[in-house]
Amino acid sequence: MSTPNTAETLPTTGPAGGAPASPGGVAVLECDDVCVHFGGVKAVDGISLQLLPDTIHGIIGPNGSGKSTLIGAITRLTKLTSGRLLFDGEEYQSSPASVVARKRVARTFQTVRLLPDLTVLENIQLGADGRTHDEGPRPNLLKRLLGKQISPAVGEAIERTNLQGFESFYPSELSYGTQRRVEIARAISTGPRLLLLDEPTAGMNQTERAEISALLQSLRTGGLSQLLVEHDVQMMIDTCDHVFAMNFGKLIAEGRPKDVVQSPQVQEAYLGRKWRDHA
Amino acid sequence: MSSFYLTNLVLVQATITGLLLALSIQVPIRMGVFSFAGAGAYGFGCYAGAILVLDYQMAAVPTIVITGLLAGLVVLVVGLLIAKLNGLYLAMATVAFCLIISVVAINGGELTGGSTGRYGVISDFTMGHMFAIGAIALVLVALSERGKLGRRVDAVREDPELAASMGINVRRYRLVAFAVSGVLGGVAGAMNILVRSAVSPLDIGFPLIVLALTMIIVGGSLSWKGAVIGALIFTWLPDLLAVVGEWQELIYGIIVAIAAVLLPRGLYGVYVDTKRSVLRRRRQEATDKATAQTPPPTSTGDTTDIDRLAPEMEAQR
Amino acid sequence: MQDVLSVVSLGSIYLLFALGMSLTWGTIDVLNFSHGSIFMFSTFTAYLLLGSTALPFLAVVAVAVAVGALMSVLIQVLAFEQIIKRARTKKNAEMQILIGGIGIAIIPLAIAQHHTKSNPFGLRESSFSVDTWVVGDLRITNIAVMTIIVALVLWLALALWLRRSRNGLALRAIGVDAEVASLMGVDRRRLALVTMAVAGGLAGLAGVLFTFTLGAITPESGDTLLVKAFAIIILGGVGSMRGVAFGAYFLAACEVWVLTQTSGSWVEAVSFGLIFIVLLIRPAGVFGRKEVRRT
Repeated sequence: MSTPNTAETLPTTGPAGGAPASPGGVAVLECDDVCVHFGGVKAVDGISLQLLPDTIHGIIGPNGSGKSTLIGAITRLTKLTSGRLLFDGEEYQSSPASVVARKRVARTFQTVRLLPDLTVLENIQLGADGRTHDEGPRPNLLKRLLGKQISPAVGEAIERTNLQGFESFYPSELSYGTQRRVEIARAISTGPRLLLLDEPTAGMNQTERAEISALLQSLRTGGLSQLLVEHDVQMMIDTCDHVFAMNFGKLIAEGRPKDVVQSPQVQEAYLGRKWRDHA
Repeated sequence: MSSFYLTNLVLVQATITGLLLALSIQVPIRMGVFSFAGAGAYGFGCYAGAILVLDYQMAAVPTIVITGLLAGLVVLVVGLLIAKLNGLYLAMATVAFCLIISVVAINGGELTGGSTGRYGVISDFTMGHMFAIGAIALVLVALSERGKLGRRVDAVREDPELAASMGINVRRYRLVAFAVSGVLGGVAGAMNILVRSAVSPLDIGFPLIVLALTMIIVGGSLSWKGAVIGALIFTWLPDLLAVVGEWQELIYGIIVAIAAVLLPRGLYGVYVDTKRSVLRRRRQEATDKATAQTPPPTSTGDTTDIDRLAPEMEAQR
Repeated sequence: MQDVLSVVSLGSIYLLFALGMSLTWGTIDVLNFSHGSIFMFSTFTAYLLLGSTALPFLAVVAVAVAVGALMSVLIQVLAFEQIIKRARTKKNAEMQILIGGIGIAIIPLAIAQHHTKSNPFGLRESSFSVDTWVVGDLRITNIAVMTIIVALVLWLALALWLRRSRNGLALRAIGVDAEVASLMGVDRRRLALVTMAVAGGLAGLAGVLFTFTLGAITPESGDTLLVKAFAIIILGGVGSMRGVAFGAYFLAACEVWVLTQTSGSWVEAVSFGLIFIVLLIRPAGVFGRKEVRRT
């Protein structure tokens, strides 16, 4: 990478809420006219957007509006039909997904995807295994060979996601909400510069949602850029600094969460023209 | 002990070659690559070993090393050709590869000895060599199941997409799986010819695939321990079952069928699952006691879509 | 001209054998690797019966078809249904069915090998005798004519059944999307059993006709045919009825051609080579339907 890394590791503490998006900041990620078409279906159709450091971005939109596909395209797990992707100003739309991940782009998936034969601790360590930006002495060879080495980032991620006590559990023993938190912990333990979360609170109750919201806000320092896909509009308003609204693969609005939610295009997308005319 | 060892020397040798053959199928399976190319590499190794010793008067160790590397290379090339395939298609393409090796062996003229094969392969190979090579292979495979590499191999098998999003180059892992399987199969084949001294086209081919597969299926496909269990059972069982009489083949078949249907993770998998469920029960008891005093550390997610929609609607009004 | 005749009769045997495998793979996603041992064992049962009584041709056929269908259904109930019930993902189930099939195939093979000491066995004791007819320069046996007719008629009947009948439609629906088919009220279990029975019956029929043609088969004959059938199916395209016929006669033509050009020991390599070439160039097969993309 030619650009210097501003963020080394995640902060150990972070005040929740407050910090506004830095408008003058250089974009971590930029999508330029990105299209993903499956045959005749235009899942993502000409999206251009910028994701800034120290900012929580959100995408709202009805089911099938292309939100998850866009995340897939950004991580390069989904093939782009056309358009450009830039990370730190460098084009990467032809790099494979694993190379993108090594640029420290982490994601969670819409469905829980934990490895069933690994414990919670090992699942999270899988994320930290990919870290190449850590400095300091390498752990001793014997320990590494025997697989006993656990990265400091894992302990930190466990603490942040409130998973203490679950380390030796297997995913099948956990409730759905807890499994989702393990997924988030795994993504955090990679030490991301861009964190993409695809419906992280699906299947969680209100208390757990509030916890996740607070967690994401506590991560909003050290240059981390976040992109959150959610259905829960209230959570978006509480959590995000900047919201994009999508429908039929296109951006229909963006701006401050409250403004976007109240904009006529978004209301129409969610509830239909008829409803709006009546209202 | 030593008399037992001497009378069963053939079985000890067969156990080691069988183990390496089983590992050559198991290593790719652990990475989610259903390749039987290891069995083809074994056949290749038998012949390459015979040719190097008979036609080039090579000593045992260089023969094994060269054969292993050649087999690894051949299987890697096969892997490059078929890397795009998946599941059944990949499996069958590698079966075809194994069978092509047998047809080539039949038609190889003087080099492979046609349908009689090659015989009289005598070299300076000792049991010491054999134990050392077997041990090295086993240790290397065992290490690949631990720590970072072990986790990454798990990820590549269970969820390649997730693996890629963790920065793992899935294609490279799969190709390495092919190469390693080729080396293991080739070395197993070379050792086999050095202790048996003869090989014919009948010794390689479809039954070899079945043998390697049965070892893995009965023993367990996800750990080297499974391969050891499988190699032990299927090398020694026919001998022990001789007591049972002439129906040993049938019993052998029934064991395989039952394991394939009921125990897809093999005997070792049964052990792991039992250990895990005991652990879980203990934890359950512990938390049951704990909940008497404090609330559980987590609550289950029970919100429905309607619950989630409600604040959404509110916000829009 | 004699060569063309050889191609047609060899291809017809292949077609009969591959038809059952293609049917189960294309509709209920079962690539049954014990199909070869069903083929062998149903013939073996007929052979055992002939040891005690001389049966007419049709009785031999009936026995083999019944045994084949029964074995096939048993395997489905005892093994494949259990695997599908337990498997975590569809991909796992597919692979486990392949492995389970290979495992189960050992049992009938072991029984037959034990009884025959791995020697070839035939159906000579039947009251049916193989005659050779000479028409001009052409020589053809009555069994070859029968094989060709039976193969083509059954192929056509099966294709029509799949296309026209209610059950056929339901089966094709399962092949495309099992879940939706279930929602539409298709009884998957019953249909799967019927399909397996038909496939097993075809294997038994193919076994008897093949054995009469060759005079005798060995217990291991099923293994080679299995790989050939796989080549045929992927050459034509999984799930395509036209494809399986094309594949069978194409493979037969290639083999006969190689046989006339070389000493004969390369014949076996044709099908294995074909598998490789098809998978590399056109994995969907000649008549294969394109994979439907689902999000």
